[in-house]
Amino acid sequence: MRAVDPGRAGYAERDGVRLGFEIFGEGDPTILLLPAWTIVHSRFWKMQVPYLARRNRVITYDGPGNGRSDRVTDPDRYSADSYAADAAAVLDACGVDRAVVVGLSLGAQHATRLATHDPSRVLGLVLIGAALPLLADEVEDDSNEAVFGPAPDDPHGWDKYNIAYWQDHYEDFVEFFFDEAISEPHSTKPQEDAVGWALEAGPAVLGASVRRLPFNLTGEEIFAGVKCPTLVIHGTRDRIHSHRVGVEAARLAGSTLVSLDGSGHLPNVRDPVRVNLLLRDFVDRLGS
Amino acid sequence: MRAQDPDREGAVDRDGVEIHYEVYGAGTPTLLLIPPSPITHSRIWKALIPFLARHYRVVTLDGRGNGKSGRPVKPAEYSSDAHVADLLAVLNATETPSAVVVALCTASWWAVALAAAHPDRVEALIAIEPGVPHLGTRQPHWEETAPHWDEIIENPTGWQLNNRHLITTEQRRWIEFFFGEQLVEPHSTKQFEDAVNWALETTGEVQVAGREGFDIGLPDAETAERLYRELGIETLTIHGDRDICQNVDRGAAFAAVTGGELLVLEGAGHLTVAREPVVVNRAIHKFVEKIKGIPMQSHVWTRSMNRRKRALYLSSPIGLGHARRDLAIAQELRKIQPDLQVDWLAQHPVTAVLTEAGESVHPASQWLASESGHFASEARGHELHCFQALRRMDEILVANFMIFQEVVEEGVYDLVIGDEAWDVDYYWHENPELKRAANVWMTDFVGYLPMPEGGEHEAYLTADYNAEMIEHIARFPRIRDRSIFVGSPDDIYPDVFGPELPKIRDWTEDHFDFAGYITGFTPPTESQAEEWRADLGYRPDEKVCLVTVGGSGVGRDLLEKVIAAYPMAKKLVPELRMIAVAGPRIDPQSLPTHPGLEVHGYVDSLYRHLSVCDVAIVQGGLSTTMELTAARRPFLYFPLRNHFEQNFHVRHRLDRYGAGRHMDYRSTDPDGVAVAMAEELGRRVAYHEVETDGAQRAARMIAELV
Repeated sequence: MRAVDPGRAGYAERDGVRLGFEIFGEGDPTILLLPAWTIVHSRFWKMQVPYLARRNRVITYDGPGNGRSDRVTDPDRYSADSYAADAAAVLDACGVDRAVVVGLSLGAQHATRLATHDPSRVLGLVLIGAALPLLADEVEDDSNEAVFGPAPDDPHGWDKYNIAYWQDHYEDFVEFFFDEAISEPHSTKPQEDAVGWALEAGPAVLGASVRRLPFNLTGEEIFAGVKCPTLVIHGTRDRIHSHRVGVEAARLAGSTLVSLDGSGHLPNVRDPVRVNLLLRDFVDRLGS
Repeated sequence: MRAQDPDREGAVDRDGVEIHYEVYGAGTPTLLLIPPSPITHSRIWKALIPFLARHYRVVTLDGRGNGKSGRPVKPAEYSSDAHVADLLAVLNATETPSAVVVALCTASWWAVALAAAHPDRVEALIAIEPGVPHLGTRQPHWEETAPHWDEIIENPTGWQLNNRHLITTEQRRWIEFFFGEQLVEPHSTKQFEDAVNWALETTGEVQVAGREGFDIGLPDAETAERLYRELGIETLTIHGDRDICQNVDRGAAFAAVTGGELLVLEGAGHLTVAREPVVVNRAIHKFVEKIKGIPMQSHVWTRSMNRRKRALYLSSPIGLGHARRDLAIAQELRKIQPDLQVDWLAQHPVTAVLTEAGESVHPASQWLASESGHFASEARGHELHCFQALRRMDEILVANFMIFQEVVEEGVYDLVIGDEAWDVDYYWHENPELKRAANVWMTDFVGYLPMPEGGEHEAYLTADYNAEMIEHIARFPRIRDRSIFVGSPDDIYPDVFGPELPKIRDWTEDHFDFAGYITGFTPPTESQAEEWRADLGYRPDEKVCLVTVGGSGVGRDLLEKVIAAYPMAKKLVPELRMIAVAGPRIDPQSLPTHPGLEVHGYVDSLYRHLSVCDVAIVQGGLSTTMELTAARRPFLYFPLRNHFEQNFHVRHRLDRYGAGRHMDYRSTDPDGVAVAMAEELGRRVAYHEVETDGAQRAARMIAELV
């Protein structure tokens, strides 16, 4: 059973793609919890929604390819700019002008684009485990052979990050991925949850999401248009995007940095109480 | 001693009336604390200033009619206009463009008037038990007595004293009645004494003028209401719901009409600033932080299982003995828990011992107000009324508690160990929601005991303090996770806590674990003692009498008396060598000398001298006398007059060990000292053995919590 059911659920449609959203609670400001990589869907905010919705309107939605949204295989729908446009469409469909926007992992790309394109709609920005190309030694490269080439034989570790491999070994990949993403000891339940959400997407969708337009902005370009108060939260043991990305993001945004010592890539599911309290504190300060 | 002295003070002349002000701290914004003069003055804020001044700049004033300010006697000079002009003058004199105003009782009305007339000078208003006219209901006793204000009343009782003639002629009676009514909270004797004493610094005539002046030029209800509604600043109202000066519905109405926050303190009366200082401090801080709108601070939060075990150790600086025993306990604790990090929140002189031992002293220690300085300031000759000194340390305790609480909230401690950390023990019981770690309470005595000189009143006070402690622990057993008595059940003084209160020993045995005594050092064996004597330069043919008075300035009188005894003592014991140690606070040059008498300011390893001397002359402090007992040395001890711990608790314990010779300072002349010394010198003592595993036992008890 869910801890709290949405007050309203519906769909926003943008250019023929239906996006399932849910609204919980009421009270300003609205908090918009963005989708991340489509390997998960909106339920990955399940530890935040009941708490935040006690005092604020909370909107979650499924990005293209997962949850209640259409299973899109057009890579263009997975670009950061497309996600930002989706987010704006969801806000429109919910009748909400402005929100505090929370983006986790790839959601940090979507969130910063939204804040740049529609600054008036973003009251504040929270970036958790941000997937942003801010480190010279850690530039994301989805164009290489290892990802797009033939499936490797007997792959180990990140070898499994290969679209062809996913066709027959999708579950093996996602299990590996969430072992890395949720690296804290005793994380079986969050890992099971995440794998289950990943299975709702499937290899075709995930492959399309990786073929998207690369997000190749510089740090300065990412944050030039971000004028709102920002909070960066990053685990020191994040194995997907290192803690140094969070440090750099906070520097570029001129924002508060909260380092979660010992946390991995998904502190919202593994350290939900601390993340909830941080979100509450951030939202309350914006309100005052 | 005050917890904090002002950084700056001065006075402004307001048409011939001096208005005295004080400035503390340097943060932003400035807080202007306004007392409801003339019934009190700026000292009413004493429990708030040290805390607030660590975060903000604090300006306070003695309102006209009391404290160091002038005392006009005409009602017209106490009008709201006069008060507002005073406030403005103080803001100008202190170069304060604008301030968050914190006002108590009637001062809230002057704050409103200031904000209305000079909106650019008031950033926000914190009204505490506000006396804002035309809101809520007036207390019935004010209503009933108002018509008789100017009448002559025969045989007045109770609220009938609220009368201009009686306030003038029977001021003390009125003031004691009034504050007795206001302090509805049990165990408020100190707050009552303070409030009465401050009120009596001015005259009844001035108080009448202040009361009559308050009504001059008050607006009608409609005008006042509009004033409140249109204030245009954020407000916080704090109000005790049992306030019988200003009804709590007045505070509620003020919060409502100004659209501000309301904090009701249930069970609290009119003087929450004095009786509930922790919650008031924290509420003010939270409110000011909110209006400052500062962003969240960058920080690190560590996952629980990634945390190193950490303990915060508080070692009482009153008397030097705690430092060594606490160090010994910490060392034993690390043997059991090698990964335990121990941080010390401590002050001089404890920090000196800790630093030398390579311990980690928490940087916030530098903010602590000096408890040992306070005790030194309380000493008069060979006298230290330690119960009253502890009571008068109230503002230092709350100041230091606020620092402790910030440290414990930021530091993610698993454990707090408080060796007679009175502030933590008291204020965690008073504010149990603030407890953030397992808590060990440690002490070497239980029970305040009245000195005979204090008479019935002191017996009443000590019983009241004991009763509060007993009630605290009965109601909140979860605050002390472990209570350790440094000693054995037999060391407990055989008395009761007070009339109708339990026997100290029964209660203590029910509520404490017993570690045995902890000296913090191992006494030398006989052969070691010979080596130590040689090391210290004692010649085989001399008899060494060591005279020490500890680290405080309290010992001058005893030193002088013993020095005066020296010629006679030398006659009685020709091989006598007397070594007097004056300690850091007494200049050895200022003491009289005799040929053959050594007076040192400081000696290295005093405990080694204590361990091997032939006889010692000391005060009645527990640590020094027990070091002598453990080392089996004969000694004379002179408890400080009116020091209940030395006269009852320590003496009882020494009697149990069969140790030392008790001496009365006043009735012993120098020759008497010399004779007693000569009798004791070289005596083969038959002391009860002092345990040597106390630190280990205490550490085991503590380690169970981490």
